[in-house]
Amino acid sequence: MPFVRRPEAGGADSVGRTVLGQTIWRTTTFRLTVIYGGVFAVAVIVLLGLIYLSTADYMASQMDQIVLDQALQLQGVSAEALPEQIRRDLAADTRHVYYYGLFSKGGEWITGNVRTLPPDFPTDGRPRPLNGHGFRLGAQALVQPLPWGELLFVGYDAKTLSGVRNIIIESLFWAGGGIIILGLAFGAALSVGPLRRLREVQAASLQVMQGDLGARLPTAGRGDEIDLLAGIANAMMDEVERLLGEVKSVGDNVAHDLRTPLTRLRVGLYRVQQDHDGNPEHQAMLDQALVDTDALLARFKAIQRIAEIDRLARQAGFAQASLPDLVREVADLFAPVAEDAGLTLLTEISCTDEIFADRELLFEALVNLIRNAVKFTPAGGSVLLRLTACAEGPRLQIIDSGPGVPEDERDAVMQRFYRGRRDRATPGSGLGLSIVAAVARLHGYRLSLSDADPGLTVTLDCWPLLIGQRGQAGVGAPRWWRPAFLNKVSSG
Amino acid sequence: MKRILCIEDDEVTAREIMSALGRDGYVVEWVADGKAGLVRAVSETFEAITLDRMLPGVDGLTIVTVMRNAGVETPVLMISALGEVDERVRGLRAGGDDYMTKPFASEEMSARLEVLLRRRHGEAARETVLKVQDVELDLVTHEARRGGRDLGLLPTELKLLELLMRNAGQVLTRTMIFEAVWGYHFDPGTNLIDVHLGRLRRKLDTPDAAPLIHTVRGSGYAFRPAT
Repeated sequence: MPFVRRPEAGGADSVGRTVLGQTIWRTTTFRLTVIYGGVFAVAVIVLLGLIYLSTADYMASQMDQIVLDQALQLQGVSAEALPEQIRRDLAADTRHVYYYGLFSKGGEWITGNVRTLPPDFPTDGRPRPLNGHGFRLGAQALVQPLPWGELLFVGYDAKTLSGVRNIIIESLFWAGGGIIILGLAFGAALSVGPLRRLREVQAASLQVMQGDLGARLPTAGRGDEIDLLAGIANAMMDEVERLLGEVKSVGDNVAHDLRTPLTRLRVGLYRVQQDHDGNPEHQAMLDQALVDTDALLARFKAIQRIAEIDRLARQAGFAQASLPDLVREVADLFAPVAEDAGLTLLTEISCTDEIFADRELLFEALVNLIRNAVKFTPAGGSVLLRLTACAEGPRLQIIDSGPGVPEDERDAVMQRFYRGRRDRATPGSGLGLSIVAAVARLHGYRLSLSDADPGLTVTLDCWPLLIGQRGQAGVGAPRWWRPAFLNKVSSG
Repeated sequence: MKRILCIEDDEVTAREIMSALGRDGYVVEWVADGKAGLVRAVSETFEAITLDRMLPGVDGLTIVTVMRNAGVETPVLMISALGEVDERVRGLRAGGDDYMTKPFASEEMSARLEVLLRRRHGEAARETVLKVQDVELDLVTHEARRGGRDLGLLPTELKLLELLMRNAGQVLTRTMIFEAVWGYHFDPGTNLIDVHLGRLRRKLDTPDAAPLIHTVRGSGYAFRPAT
């Protein structure tokens, strides 16, 4: 299957998943709504609790009064008539809310529907809550000693308080549950809007990250806090865009303005060299001056070229490209050079997939990589161009048998102008790998150096990295938004 | 008298073009303004035109488009500070014959202009065999001979030889050679082109025959038959 990949699409998706990873449950609106619901529920519980407590208090005092009244009435009856009176009262109590018991001095039951005195119940005639078996919450009772020595038990259990308590607990259950469910639903509903807007903001930011510096965050025009934030970010981006533009044009202009006089200088030197006086010493000096001027020109050209690659309208020149053809073509171009240098230039192609890329830029990158390999590999060595298929896409490797790059220098060689210990003696602009890195950056490819033991392996993974991985790769993202400390290339 | 029109708003560049082409024996007429340049390009006869891509008034792309629409076929060498590939493609698509980026060495410009003029004059019909002195290149069978001896050239060497022979007598810079043979528009650097030329030269110029491929110091190469 040909590899038709558009880095933007893959990147956008993955960021949508990884950076956002943000569900509705995490939004501020949702959290605030739920907190508000929780506070409201507590308030309801406290309110109902207070109602219950004061109701219980009021009912207790009411029942105390009833029990006292009843006891007072019965105290007025003579000792002989009392049992009969109690039986009559019991018969009249059709609601079964009264409890009576008449006990002898020793505590034996004489009459009434209470057969035994509750243990430890004080016999002082004062009403108390009755928590014995068979009574509901809120039952009140008293034990009144009679003048002739018998004990009179009067109790009242209207079951009202426990009824009230059940009502309140039920209300709490339904109201509280309702408030919590409603709060969650409301919070979720309220969060959808802001979340949708955040996703829009994220899409716009992604566009900026991928190089469209002109993109701005959307505003709803309501002047709310998201609008406010977007406004701040937009103003910041305006400024960044302006500064970047300035920096870029200054850099480009410097390179351009220096190239023009340098070109004239070179022309002048060349003319002098053509009509010189034949003095071999002057000839040698002129030759050296020309070589140096050419080196300077090459550097400025390379700087401008890197700026140009970085500035390219993103992927405008992208098309289907055949990597095997490219590899064969570049091998063909370098075959005579390698032969002259006493090197074996080999190709090993085991991948025929097409990629979506800028063919000319990839060729330029390859030329720079092989030029380096040929330059640094001593005669008798070899340079291998290997194209293999990985699960994600084609992998291109340039493996030489040269001295390699020490591990501590591998990050540095990717940077502009860096010239390692191995290449102090060879000519070059020190910008070859920077051009390769710029091309890799434009494609979102990963460029890495590793040990070929002996020698150096340069690996170009020809599939776009997702933005999240670009920091590690170091070359995946455009330079302007990658912080300097991420400017590393993994070496392994 | 060979007249060349130079439409260029930068005076320094214009003076450079004038002095370089003046040395080669051309009369260069300079116009700094796009509109005036267009009028002269359409109404007068010139051997060739060097045209700046960005001009005040009417820009270079428009000039070349209008010229071609009016049926004026004067060769146009476009010169621009914009070096990007798509700029080049736009320039050539609009009708420019060649495209150069500023800053440039005047030798490079002379060489390119010569090739344009040559192409115009020697607009030979589709030849199948190129012949320069005792060198023969058969474009159909892809065989090259010198004095009847098969040179045994590889595909790249054949392309190189074809380019040199088609522009015999002209100086070709390394950049021009890289563009024409390999089709890429970046600086290949180092001695890539030199090595390829060296190969071809070794096969072509044997010690017993007069050398045909000449190195022009500081500029490039030329295929020059012995006179």
